[in-house]
Amino acid sequence: MKRRDFIKAIPAAALAPTAVSTVTMSANAAPPKTATPQSGNTHVVEAAGKASSATSGSGEVPEFAEHILTSDMDGLGPDGKPNGQTATFSGASKANATADSASSKMELNDDEQAILDGKEGPEKAKLMKILVRFGETFGATKLADLGGAPHSNLYIGAPYLESLIVMLEQCAAAGLKAYAPYTVNPRPYDVYNVQNNPTEMQLIAEGYPLQMRLDAVHAQLGAPDLNFRSCACYIDDIGNAPKPGTPVAWCESSAVNYGNSVLGIRTNRYGAGMEMLCAMLGKAPVFGLMTDEGRKAKWLIDVKTSEEPDWGVLGTAIGRKCVEDIPYIAGVDKYFGGDVNNDNWHKLKYMGSATAAAGAVGCYHVEGVTPEPKEKGRDMLAENFQTYVFDDKEQQAILDTFENLWDDPDGNPTAVFIGCPHCNYEETIRWAKMFVDALDAAGQEKLAIPAYIFAPTVTRTRALLEEPELASRALGAGINVTNMCGVSYSGMKGFSQRVRAVTNSAKNRNYSPIRYFPDKKLVDIAVTGKV
Amino acid sequence: MAKTFKGRPIVPGNLEGEALVSKQPFNTTASYFTNMFAGNTKDAPCTDANNAELYKKDLSGAIMCTPQTVGSTMGAGAIMGMNLLGVGFKAMLFSGHIDSIAAGGLIMDDVWNDRKVITVDLLGDEFMEAVKTGDPISIKEDGTVEVG
Repeated sequence: MKRRDFIKAIPAAALAPTAVSTVTMSANAAPPKTATPQSGNTHVVEAAGKASSATSGSGEVPEFAEHILTSDMDGLGPDGKPNGQTATFSGASKANATADSASSKMELNDDEQAILDGKEGPEKAKLMKILVRFGETFGATKLADLGGAPHSNLYIGAPYLESLIVMLEQCAAAGLKAYAPYTVNPRPYDVYNVQNNPTEMQLIAEGYPLQMRLDAVHAQLGAPDLNFRSCACYIDDIGNAPKPGTPVAWCESSAVNYGNSVLGIRTNRYGAGMEMLCAMLGKAPVFGLMTDEGRKAKWLIDVKTSEEPDWGVLGTAIGRKCVEDIPYIAGVDKYFGGDVNNDNWHKLKYMGSATAAAGAVGCYHVEGVTPEPKEKGRDMLAENFQTYVFDDKEQQAILDTFENLWDDPDGNPTAVFIGCPHCNYEETIRWAKMFVDALDAAGQEKLAIPAYIFAPTVTRTRALLEEPELASRALGAGINVTNMCGVSYSGMKGFSQRVRAVTNSAKNRNYSPIRYFPDKKLVDIAVTGKV
Repeated sequence: MAKTFKGRPIVPGNLEGEALVSKQPFNTTASYFTNMFAGNTKDAPCTDANNAELYKKDLSGAIMCTPQTVGSTMGAGAIMGMNLLGVGFKAMLFSGHIDSIAAGGLIMDDVWNDRKVITVDLLGDEFMEAVKTGDPISIKEDGTVEVG
């Protein structure tokens, strides 16, 4: 089967936007089919796995599913076939783990034990019990006191997430809060700047019936208002950038690997829900990427391209090669001038987010650029590391796997998507200027097709205040700044029938039927409306 | 002839039934589209077309045998959601190390909601080589799994 011909997997961000369930789950709506097996008793399960033809509810797989593509480390190769990839998502493969040795015994301090014993209420005791069992599963022997602030990617009010949402509501009702005001991924839609049309409004209403409940419980647990929603929580305008070495528990693959790698914080790569549990306890088990050993690189990525690499292609290549193991990337320090700043950070953002989408990379080291290799050099390489050379030929080979997946592959593009993850202020302004300058050079007032720059609302507002002339010109030219999740928008029902999009994000390309192009080409496409 | 394997109990329990096997890593979120998005509570036909062994088969109430789960970080929520609907697995048996996404969902649902999907990991590659769909399976709470 050709890659992406049918359902592959669900990108974390694209699960909800496409939901069209007409049957909303509720805690009492669907009793279990059989008694739940209990420890100490033996229950008999009848044969499962028989061919299934009948369904209840609305039955058939909704059509949007055909346009939801690959997912974080889905174990598929570029040809769409299973490649045997596995990962624990904890930052380091545990190929040698055995049943007898893999678990640990958590040593709790008096305060932690008191929580487990219920001294701070039954809800917190349950959370602690979960965390201890989870940590012991991955060999942790202690809990870290978390610092900085949490970041959550539980941002989709889809019906199937009700069980998690109810758990958060019960915690909020018990008076629990996160240990610090925290950040959350952007909403999966923007009904003000993009989706204020009847078709998409209806899809949003059907797809996110729990959105307000989720947003409300986040507010109760300590999240700031929706203007601060962003997947790039660490940019200046959002400000969730803990100091190097700070232990946190973040969830959002691109933020986790930017935080670990560029900020130097320490977080594992959590599944949605666990990060909120850690946030309410202010604790996380110490294993994987939170340990010195777990942050050592098993791969040396030797970049030998004749020019500056395409960062998204490089990230895709690394993700496919390393899966979840940490890469040590050499040969690119000259493109950073010795420092990561607001004008060049996006290179790491696009590379890193692609490693986490094509693979499950939770941390990467860039020689001469990111903090740990700057301090320790190649001591960050683990023993017996492997080497992967990324040269012009390899870059082209990876790029050649980026298929044209438009429903009408010969049609003209209809939209340009910039940013995924979110842009910061500098990148937003830079793209707006690039488009406007190109229009001026071409003698045009408006872009041939609309451009969407994905950035948080606070960044959009700042651009309006600090660059009013440019902002006005850009808006009139069809350049929109939207705060929603770009991947979610691309996962909307019928998206590929309505939109033939082009993007600068290899992450979004990994999840969606969007074509990937270099920056200059994207500007040209926006001005001319043609590839 | 029955073969016995010793793994690590993640969610301990005793259970007997038939195996449902995915030799390739099971993609949690890709497999439940009719349940996640179409309100299906009657059964759980596998929607992952890339999984030739399971595609269109009913996953509901199965004893899933697979190396590991893969896919979206929303997988923990999906596992809990399927259990809420009553179409989740009765047991999950992994030859490899459980991943943190599945572990989070299974442990959260066990402790918070008292919904137990008996789970054993690290059963070893030989387990996956030995087990076939339809094989009788017996799981003990100490992580012992008997096939055949």
